[in-house]
Amino acid sequence: MRLAGAELVESRLILPDQWLQTYAAPWLTAAGVRAGQFVHVRTPDYSGLVLRRPLSINTIDRASGHMTIHFRITGKGTEWLARARPGEVIDMLGPLGRPFEVDPRTRHVLLVAGGLGMAGVRSLADEALEAGRQVTLLFGARGAAEVYPSSLLPPEVEYVVATDDGSLGQPGRVTDLLPEYEAWADQAFACGPWPMLSALAQLATGRDARLGVARLGRRRGQRSAAAARGTAAARRRAWLQVSLEQNMGCAVGACLGCVVFGVDGPQRVCREGPVFAADEIVWEGASV
Amino acid sequence: MKPRRRVVPSRARAVEPYPTPRRRSALGAAPRPATPSARPTGPAAAASGRPALSVDAVDLTVDLAPGRPDGLHLRNPILVASGTFGYGIEYGDVVDVQGLGAICCKGTTLKPRVGNQPPRVTETPAGMLNSIGLQNPGVEAVIDKYAALWATWQVPVIVNVAGESIEDYVGVVRRLDGVPGVAGIELNISCPNVGKGGLQFAVDREAAGAVTAAVRRATDLPLMVKLSPNVADVRAIAQAIEAAGADAISAINTLSGMAIDRARRRPLLGNTYGGLSGPAIKPVALRVVYEVAQVVRIPVVAIGGVAALDDVLDFLFAGASAVQVGTAIFADPGLPLRLVDELAVWCAAQGMSSHREIIGAALPAGARKGVHGKDRPSVKGVEYRP
Repeated sequence: MRLAGAELVESRLILPDQWLQTYAAPWLTAAGVRAGQFVHVRTPDYSGLVLRRPLSINTIDRASGHMTIHFRITGKGTEWLARARPGEVIDMLGPLGRPFEVDPRTRHVLLVAGGLGMAGVRSLADEALEAGRQVTLLFGARGAAEVYPSSLLPPEVEYVVATDDGSLGQPGRVTDLLPEYEAWADQAFACGPWPMLSALAQLATGRDARLGVARLGRRRGQRSAAAARGTAAARRRAWLQVSLEQNMGCAVGACLGCVVFGVDGPQRVCREGPVFAADEIVWEGASV
Repeated sequence: MKPRRRVVPSRARAVEPYPTPRRRSALGAAPRPATPSARPTGPAAAASGRPALSVDAVDLTVDLAPGRPDGLHLRNPILVASGTFGYGIEYGDVVDVQGLGAICCKGTTLKPRVGNQPPRVTETPAGMLNSIGLQNPGVEAVIDKYAALWATWQVPVIVNVAGESIEDYVGVVRRLDGVPGVAGIELNISCPNVGKGGLQFAVDREAAGAVTAAVRRATDLPLMVKLSPNVADVRAIAQAIEAAGADAISAINTLSGMAIDRARRRPLLGNTYGGLSGPAIKPVALRVVYEVAQVVRIPVVAIGGVAALDDVLDFLFAGASAVQVGTAIFADPGLPLRLVDELAVWCAAQGMSSHREIIGAALPAGARKGVHGKDRPSVKGVEYRP
């Protein structure tokens, strides 16, 4: 974790109200930043805002020291950020949070993104391709106007789109696509609105038993003793990992403002997350 | 011991409570609390008409428990407020915590608490609302996990204690008493975010006095009590707390407030109500500090919207002996340490050997009964027992 300035290199409006910004932040890309982590972005004093804004790291280019963030204007903070001009240096705290954990044996990676959830899983597409894995990305949006442009994705990614109004791709919810890919995917990683993640978690429950997937390399009865829930080792074995979003204060684990309730009690999205194995979270009744 | 009489030619010069290494004779015009300017603009920068000092000559130390035999000596008057700095380790990567005056840790209760439903924080105009609900692992776990580390630190850690009943408070404090690494207690009787306990003690002078007295009997640790602004007359409560034996008063806790989620047409926070903090509440905090400093002798620690040196100076002028930085840390974790440096630079530029000279400078004449005033009943080292 470091606190430093990142220079805005390029700012693009890629979708209505959605911006993709490239920053030069060699200190960040050199810090071993991984897919799923985020930065906590400060707006300047004159903006009158008192909190930083947590934003997923969208892509990481270690060679050039550039990284991108993708956000939608939802309030004053993001509105200010969208108006930043190239050359401006933005104060960032990062990299923060725990990344996606991909099992080394995983060949087929399924990414599921709902709307702006693309920002959460986008970097994992690069990371998985780099590791020689096959990537399918399921994307859900309200309509064609909000579909993430395929030109911004690596060509190796199989991109499947579902829209609520059927104006592009499969009509319906992105979660409806999951059963089709459930067997193909060795692991799935999702980011999006809470109802979508909740539905995915429900669909994924019992997936291994349903498909008769054998977990090799582990002795009978050793399942729980091997890795406690919430550890990186346990997450690596989880079929579905989700990246959660929550209002944040400090983003370093001090203020306990970004907590979601997990099976083992309150979990800080900034510290134990933002990535969780789906079975760590209590989905019923909670809505964030 | 009889009160030592000093010739005090001017009010503003009478605020120096301790012998400082470089005491000048009380001559000449009163140093006017100049408009705050963080940087000295040269040798002639001393707006007070005194020659500027070197920054190293400025003494920022402050004792927050002058009534206790050992006191609670801080190297500088900039503390971090409870709930915004965790247990002091979370910001370790980006902040040198040893440079702080003290750390007030997250509110600690007897039993673990899971806290309130999310969402728990949201930004509001010039501030934020939080409704954490005192999530903490309980006093045992706090001691197990952090006390040994705190004991190795130079910076004192003041444990913020919360509870639902007097027995709860006493239980936590008994457990903390004598634990190495615990430098003091901040009694949180003013949390607006928990159903039972918390605020009920801060709104009633008898209850505030009772809980303070009970805790006072349970420990010899320096005891600071945190006031709520959500009361009719904060002075009566402050006096009750002082009479019950508190060593210091911190003010203020958050103001009760709420926000609406317009899209869903319902309260935004999971707990409906939250505590408002940040620059928005600074005027309220100033008023409370100003009122309390006039009626108590014990040091007052100001909390509420400190985001720059100007805010620190305002609170010192209003009678605070030290300030806590809270919400501003979230945006700028380096701020508390920068304030320490800026305060030293400011004092040096004013030709002041200590920030203590300006404590209470804005209080009305004759109203300064505080520990830094002229009618302080004892000199340092003599225990003050009401």
